[in-house]
Amino acid sequence: MSFKTAFLIVILLFSLSNMKAQNFELGKVSLAELQEKVHPKDSSAVAAVLFEKGKNSFEYSQEKGFVMITEIKARIKIYKKEGYEWANKSIRYYTVNDAKETVSFSDATTYNLVNDKIEKTKLKSDGEFDEVLNKYWGQKKITMPNIKQGSVIEFKYTIRSVRTGSPRDWYFQSSIPVNYSEYKNYVPEYFIYNANLKGFIRPVVTVENGRNSITLNSKERTTSNRVTQTSFSSDKIDYLETRTTYLAQNMPAMKEESFVNNIDNYTSSLVQELAMTKYPGEPLNAYSTNWNAVVKTIYNYDDFGPELNKTGYFEEDLKAVLAGLNTAEEKITAILQYVKSTVKWNDYYGYSCNDGVKQAYKNKTGNVAEINLMLTAMLRHAGLTANPVLVSTRSNGIALFPNRTAFNYVIAAVENGTDVVLLDATDKFSSPNVLPFRDLNWLGRLIRKDGTSSEVDLMPKQTSNDVITMNYAVNDKGEVVGKLRRQRTDHNAMIFRSNVKDLKEEAYLEKFENENDKIEVSDYLRANENDLKLPLIETISFTGANSSEILGGKIYIKPMLSFSQGNNPFKQEIREYPVDFGFPFLDKYAINLQIPAGYKVESFPASASILMEDGLGSFKFLTSLSGDSIQVSILSQINRPIISAEYYPALKEFYQKMMEKENEKIVLSKI
Amino acid sequence: MKITSLFLLFFTTVAFTVHAQKNEYQSLNISDSLTENANAVVRLNQIDIVISSQRSMNIKTKRVVTVLNEKGINAIDAIESYDKRRTVKAIEAIIYDALGNEIKKIKRKDFKDQSASGGSTIFSDGRYIYIEYTPTQYPFTVVYESEIETSNTAFIPTWSILSDFYVSIEKSVLNVNFPATLGFKKKEFNFSNFKIKKDTDTATQLSYSVATVLAQKFEDFTPVSKVFPKVMMGLESFNLEGVDGTAKNWKEYGKWFSENILMGTAILNDETKVKIKSLVGSETDPIKKARIVYQYMQEKSRYVSVQVGIGGFKPMLASDVDRLGYGDCKALSNYTRALLDVVGVPSYYTELFGDQDIRNMEADFFSIQGNHVILCVPNGEDTIFLECTSQDDPFGYQANFTDDRDVVVMKPDGGEIIHTKTYHNKDNAQISKGNYAIDTNGNFSGKITIVSEGSQYARKAAIENMQPTAKEAHYKGYWSTINNLKIEKTTFSNDKEKVRFTENGSINAINYGTISGSKMMFAINAFNQFTGSVKRIRNRKNPFEIQRGFIDTDEIEVALPAGFTVEFIPSDFESITKFGEYKSEIVKKDDSTLVYKRTLFIKKGLYSNKEYDEYRLFMDQISKNDNAKIILTKNQ
Repeated sequence: MSFKTAFLIVILLFSLSNMKAQNFELGKVSLAELQEKVHPKDSSAVAAVLFEKGKNSFEYSQEKGFVMITEIKARIKIYKKEGYEWANKSIRYYTVNDAKETVSFSDATTYNLVNDKIEKTKLKSDGEFDEVLNKYWGQKKITMPNIKQGSVIEFKYTIRSVRTGSPRDWYFQSSIPVNYSEYKNYVPEYFIYNANLKGFIRPVVTVENGRNSITLNSKERTTSNRVTQTSFSSDKIDYLETRTTYLAQNMPAMKEESFVNNIDNYTSSLVQELAMTKYPGEPLNAYSTNWNAVVKTIYNYDDFGPELNKTGYFEEDLKAVLAGLNTAEEKITAILQYVKSTVKWNDYYGYSCNDGVKQAYKNKTGNVAEINLMLTAMLRHAGLTANPVLVSTRSNGIALFPNRTAFNYVIAAVENGTDVVLLDATDKFSSPNVLPFRDLNWLGRLIRKDGTSSEVDLMPKQTSNDVITMNYAVNDKGEVVGKLRRQRTDHNAMIFRSNVKDLKEEAYLEKFENENDKIEVSDYLRANENDLKLPLIETISFTGANSSEILGGKIYIKPMLSFSQGNNPFKQEIREYPVDFGFPFLDKYAINLQIPAGYKVESFPASASILMEDGLGSFKFLTSLSGDSIQVSILSQINRPIISAEYYPALKEFYQKMMEKENEKIVLSKI
Repeated sequence: MKITSLFLLFFTTVAFTVHAQKNEYQSLNISDSLTENANAVVRLNQIDIVISSQRSMNIKTKRVVTVLNEKGINAIDAIESYDKRRTVKAIEAIIYDALGNEIKKIKRKDFKDQSASGGSTIFSDGRYIYIEYTPTQYPFTVVYESEIETSNTAFIPTWSILSDFYVSIEKSVLNVNFPATLGFKKKEFNFSNFKIKKDTDTATQLSYSVATVLAQKFEDFTPVSKVFPKVMMGLESFNLEGVDGTAKNWKEYGKWFSENILMGTAILNDETKVKIKSLVGSETDPIKKARIVYQYMQEKSRYVSVQVGIGGFKPMLASDVDRLGYGDCKALSNYTRALLDVVGVPSYYTELFGDQDIRNMEADFFSIQGNHVILCVPNGEDTIFLECTSQDDPFGYQANFTDDRDVVVMKPDGGEIIHTKTYHNKDNAQISKGNYAIDTNGNFSGKITIVSEGSQYARKAAIENMQPTAKEAHYKGYWSTINNLKIEKTTFSNDKEKVRFTENGSINAINYGTISGSKMMFAINAFNQFTGSVKRIRNRKNPFEIQRGFIDTDEIEVALPAGFTVEFIPSDFESITKFGEYKSEIVKKDDSTLVYKRTLFIKKGLYSNKEYDEYRLFMDQISKNDNAKIILTKNQ
């Protein structure tokens, strides 16, 4: 045995014994846990989950069938005042008749150290609340008594539910450190679940087989010779049970960062969904074993597939819309515009219709499904190959695994050979292939009439442009007078259009002036505000008194004036998650600057060019001097919507160098 | 009784018939002056309040709003709260298009119903019912009607004519009917710039009306409570959450409140009494005792609010707070009062309006006005106020939420109006002392000590407990003018006794000095540039107010890189205006060391709209001068 192996074994033994020293049962809070002042691995943690254990099992009752029982026990340490909110816990439950859930809290106790002795305070009924959230949901809440810095709390809660379709998600990770997280699922052979793990850190999974049984009681009445006898019988049915344990230890806290799509995507968690049922004597019933099964299930929902086949309600109106149009492109644009202007989105998500397409058309308002399924139906009616595409929005996280709840949204796609045009009529300013930001979330799933499906890339491939042409003169007081033309396309145009919607021109200009060194705008023109096919164009005449600096008789001026980004948006030193820009973009400036009479150019920024590795981005800065004017041309672009964290140092440096170049000044001095 | 309800029923029917007329609220016939600067036009806001007895009040609202665009949706304001003592008897809305055609009728069951709990209110038995409607076109008009019945006659809603900016009013009417015996009274505010007609003012009736109030543009620093007109109302004989009360003024209210609401809530068990007495020990000075008790309470409790029944007004029992270790502002203030009582220090429950914006309790007009409770501890001629919901505030600290305003102190012999601590201009100081060096590549490294006092203390003290990422973000924001900033180290000391927070930081940044050719250039004021811009406002209409003054002083030693000569140094600058004073100077210590000194002093004050531009120019000058650059040339 080499020294190394011996050392390893020692460590192993040590860690094993170390693990045993902790007690993961309620009521066994140790002195060490109470004495701990900071989390040993994360001194900034405001609180930590010392352990959390969940167990999901099934119970059979003759009235309700299988009932899912989820029992969760937790012990939480509170280090700082900022962690007091962890002493409150709330659990939602479904309240609609047949599927009514119950939640009950028990064994909730606060532990404090008082003069080196453990003091227990139990939660009483005055710290437990029950609240009606809406027609469907209620919420049970507790707030623990006697919370101080250093307190340890424990509680247990049990949820009983017949909603066996999707057990509650289990999070191994949280915004505070989690020392020990265990989840067990005991599933009878009649149910098959898809279990999907998300996040960077994976728990250890072990599977065992076990046995369990159902007891059915029945009574039988027999009448003979006018004597009625009731006999009771009890049948015991044995079944196999799959027992899966997921265990994760020492999980670090999840931290928020800027330009992150949705932190849930990176949080270690377990998502489960019923894939199949196989009751004795019944055929197999598949819900979501793979994407095709998922899609088929969804397509067969009453409020999805059948809604696509309804056409009668719009046929007459659509005729007028399509009159005189020939090409597919014209038809797509016209139909999209028609749906957008006829039916307004009521801000409800979902891929299922609520009131149905007909009703939505009549009411002129509908949810996402009603609007986009109606759009799909109209496109089909116009002879196009149109299909719905299931989407998981940014707020819902990325749809990684085949399951029905992975999606929460639907849009429309028109296929023309290999070409796919994506459409979403819920947003006033969206156009073909320019979808609202919420939709831009990796992959969607396109469903065809025949039940087949395929992946669709939702991320924009076309770069969104922002092109500024600026022509201005500087006078000897350092004031600038000039003209600017700004042209935005695709997502840049969409974002601008929605930002200025309902904003009075005067208010917009006041804001514009204040954000740009208080320049004064004399003429302003905006073109194509509502013509979504065309780029949005602004033309501005301006004079600026604060756009340069005069120091020691010399004029210092940034060629881009106030239109450069100014600061590096990437300030963090280390990055954990990918940087998500949403769409690729290109910013371009063409600047012509006239210097004042009696002055000469003492120096001006040199040309430069920066390339990011693997073609992720580029920056070109070109300057030239001709007579009494300076030309500057700047081109910066990011070519991918998402840039992975490994590139972060390079991206940060790219931005830093770009900002430095853009902030360099032209120096003008008297002749 | 029966006759009244029959009459009411009849009245309601008539009212609803009138609304069925469709063309009355066409959007097209609104005059241009009303749509200017408006996102919505309130065509009619009629509030009819009938107080039939000390324990019964009925409020009918009819609100007709034409929404011109998406930003105007909030003006619909179709929301009512309800609880055990407040019922929504009727609520309905009808939507009309621009031509006055009915588009949709929204019945009670289609309104959304939601709990009033949220945030630190863990539970409340109060609920809200509100409209949910997706506009399909603009403009559209909502005719909203509701009827509320409540026994809480202590809360007569304030008549606010303008409730928001960018909303104009075509007509607004208030009718109040009340028995002559209940001692109804009112107070009008900010009427002078508005043509408000008082139609009736008798022993049993009050009514106002106003027509054509133009939309107001939002202008920074507008003291809204001094500009928007309103009428406050109250009864001398009222019912508050099921308890009858009588009070003509704050003195009587305080007495009633002490005897009826506070009585019996401040009892503690013997164990706690013994504990607090032993903590205080032999201390005899009442203020020193209060400090010990305050600290004990801060360590023991947290802010959690539970609003059930009269809990909305009556503090939770001190013994419950003692057991549970939490409570809301009422509960924690009252608990502290109970603890102080045990050690023989008198203290008084105090109601006020807590807000960053300074707002008084109206000294000469009693009605239920507060939204917050603190505790008053007499200190000889003086008073100290304790904020009991904070686990961190220094003893007696009040800045930015309860300072400089009239509050109602519930003394046993009656309520008393007392003005809270004012944080005077120069008390709110930030003193920065430090140094930095620039190397030959323009890289920056520096150390600084920042001491914050007065109202500036609160803005800084929180930094210490921030998460590392938030802390980093704070400093990167505070020193936003330093690109590529790296924070090497920060340490803090929080002197709660003197209310003084000290930050020590060492930072560096590459390329702080920009090099072009043989020249290097950087802003000499690296640590404390005024970057907040004071907006230019075209044709300002409203006065503006600076509610708290402050003073910043900076003294920074700057080490210049070797091998460079100074080509240009910004000249010393001074500006003295009625708004404050600014001064910057640069002293040459030796060939490679400069000392930068700066003072920015802003005074508290209320100014007219005409003075705004002058203020803006003053601040612009400061911002420009703070960014003044020094230029160095490389020695050949």
